[in-house]
Amino acid sequence: MDKAEQQPTKIVIALLSLLLPGLGQVLQRDWKRGLSVFLAIATALATVTWYGKRGWYIAVIFLWLWNVWDALKMPRGAPVVLAVLLWLGMAYGIGWQVTQVNPMALFTNTERAQSIIRPMLQPDFFTARKEKHEGWVEVQVPCSATPPRAEKTVEEIHIRVQPDCGNLNETLIVTADGLWPSAPTEITWMTPIGDVKLLGPGNNQMLVVETDNEGRLSAVIQVPGSALAAAPDPTLPLPHRVYLTQTRPIGGMTLSTNGQYVIRGIYETLALALLSTLIGAIMAIPLGFMAARNLMGGHPLLVGVYVVVRTVLNIVRSIESLILAIIFVIIVGLGPFPGMLALAIHTTAALGKLYSEVIEAIDPGPIEAIRATGANNLQVIRYAVIPQIIPPFTALTIYRWDINVRSSTIIGFVGGGGIGFFLYQWILIGDFRAVSASFIAIAAVVMILDFFSAKLRERLV
Amino acid sequence: MLRVEHLTKVYPNGTVALRDISFEVSDGEFLVVIGLSGSGKSTLLRCINRLIEPTSGKIYWNDIDITNASPSEVRRIRRQIGMIFQQFNLVKRSSVLTNVLSGRLGYANPWLSLLGVWPAEDRQKALRALERVGIADKANQRADTLSGGQQQRVGIARALMQDPRLLLADEPVASLDPVLAHSILQYLEQLNKEGVTIICSLHFLDLVHRYATRVIGLKDGVKVFDGLPTEIDRARFKEIYGEEAQEVRAASL
Ligand SMILES: Nc1ncnc2c1ncn2[C@@H]1O[C@H](COP(=O)(O)OP(=O)(O)OP(=O)(O)O)[C@@H](O)[C@H]1O
Ligand SMILES: [Mg+2]
Repeated sequence: MDKAEQQPTKIVIALLSLLLPGLGQVLQRDWKRGLSVFLAIATALATVTWYGKRGWYIAVIFLWLWNVWDALKMPRGAPVVLAVLLWLGMAYGIGWQVTQVNPMALFTNTERAQSIIRPMLQPDFFTARKEKHEGWVEVQVPCSATPPRAEKTVEEIHIRVQPDCGNLNETLIVTADGLWPSAPTEITWMTPIGDVKLLGPGNNQMLVVETDNEGRLSAVIQVPGSALAAAPDPTLPLPHRVYLTQTRPIGGMTLSTNGQYVIRGIYETLALALLSTLIGAIMAIPLGFMAARNLMGGHPLLVGVYVVVRTVLNIVRSIESLILAIIFVIIVGLGPFPGMLALAIHTTAALGKLYSEVIEAIDPGPIEAIRATGANNLQVIRYAVIPQIIPPFTALTIYRWDINVRSSTIIGFVGGGGIGFFLYQWILIGDFRAVSASFIAIAAVVMILDFFSAKLRERLV
Repeated sequence: MLRVEHLTKVYPNGTVALRDISFEVSDGEFLVVIGLSGSGKSTLLRCINRLIEPTSGKIYWNDIDITNASPSEVRRIRRQIGMIFQQFNLVKRSSVLTNVLSGRLGYANPWLSLLGVWPAEDRQKALRALERVGIADKANQRADTLSGGQQQRVGIARALMQDPRLLLADEPVASLDPVLAHSILQYLEQLNKEGVTIICSLHFLDLVHRYATRVIGLKDGVKVFDGLPTEIDRARFKEIYGEEAQEVRAASL
């Protein structure tokens, strides 16, 4: 007894603490403090060594000294704040260095930022409504002995090309009438397999010719050098087309092509989120009951089911839906389906857990009261259990849909379909007008959904 | 008539909540059960309608052995026994009317009731029950929007739907202020005058004196008193509630 009470001398304590941090505290029977001190210094040492930031060894040394001081000042110990500050200072300092925080980059790259921001100020969503006036004529390339006459009238546009055929890079003369007068007209070449070739200077610009005031036009073109590039047999004469296209605004706005993609993407995202929420919710209901402690008591088998379901739910829940999506993209390929699977599984786990918490929080009073009226078990569930769980279940499910809409925009980035998929493509090809249109659309949808889901949940709770 | 013979209840954790309790209740009595918190009042009331399974002993209701009844017989017996609770035990998110109608579940067509379909006569009966306790205008409100006193009246209306022959009331007024306590107990008194037997646990002696026709005292699960309310003098009171007890009157709260 007496021996156990004996305390080691100060010197011994100081030496032992110096040798192994925390030992001094443990010797004075403060297990927890000793362990915490040891862990703090061990983690600090490991972090500094791992990242090779030598300068921060100074923090470790101070922590070590603090530990000796603390051991000497037991049982009250040294101020913990000091140690905590030292540790945090080291952690933040290293963190700052390894994540390469560099605020200046925000300003030095203004050129690049501007080239992104300027198009983003003009989201590609709507475009002026236009009317199209278009005609074409077939020209044989390369020339055969008896080429068909290159003349045709389409929608009152009469086009004649002379000569009737041409070889690569030969000059042709296009004359046309019946076009809109005094209007720019685009002239393009289309190969038999549908490749469009530009006819302007260098063959990489649009050739635009103005009609005269009677709707007539004449132009000189060259058979594009690449007209036969993809032809199976370049010596076989085939009909190519010369197109004349006029467009003019007819007032009002309409969705641009990208705008239509945005709408389609948003719709796909909403549907994806809705479907995965629905599937997840349906699967989560039985799991929720199985993961509810108050229902699964008593029999060891029930307890076993409870433990297994609960554990699986917790594990699955902790896997980011994005990771799940990547896995499913690998398994089933690109598109909305893998995204939906990932979200559905994540939703099942998340809702299963939340449902089980609702079930655990059921008020047993009404159940007792309904049973006391002589109701059978089904009636008890219908009148005492369901009214208690349906509103919170619905609220949680709506909330989940809300989350899933957000997640599914991200999931599109890994090929999971929806607006995120388009967004990713647009970022890649640098179409920042389309990017900003999708940003706006996503923000609008999320805000609207947020508003209504909040309103709905308010009424349910 | 209700007859309780050698009733004992031991909870799975070993707590002996009731120890060899025997008594009889004739039709038309207003029996009040008193006793300290934890003396076994709630356990006793719940054994009578088998919300709690007795460990041993017998309970006869009009010579039917409740303790041996099959589940369907238990439900048939339960529907004649109304019950009201200290915490009212209403389904908070359901409407007052639905709460009252649920008192009829023991009689209703099981399948229709699962669909939430109620015959017109049951609905009228529910409205009459609500009228009787003075809150017909609240029929379509959610139950948890009502005050405590109103909720207990919904509880009484729910019990009324059962056309009860016996009413179990477990501290029906313990969560209410003294004025409301009297108004609730007056409803019970009125029912009692119409022939419903009442077994009610209470905490306040002045309420016991005012409403009981007979009193049973419990102490640590043992019946220590069975007699008229007027017989509870200071000595008896100390016997039931212990030496240090001071009488508290509802009216003085
Ligand atoms: N489910 C249970 N499991 C174990 N013991 C219980 C259980 N319910 C009640 N008891 C115990 O049984 C004894 C009697 O409880 P009971 O609720 O019947 O008392 P009561 O007289 O109604 O008390 P109160 O006035 O507080 O409502 C108490 O000791 C209590 O702790
Ligand atoms: Mg009680």
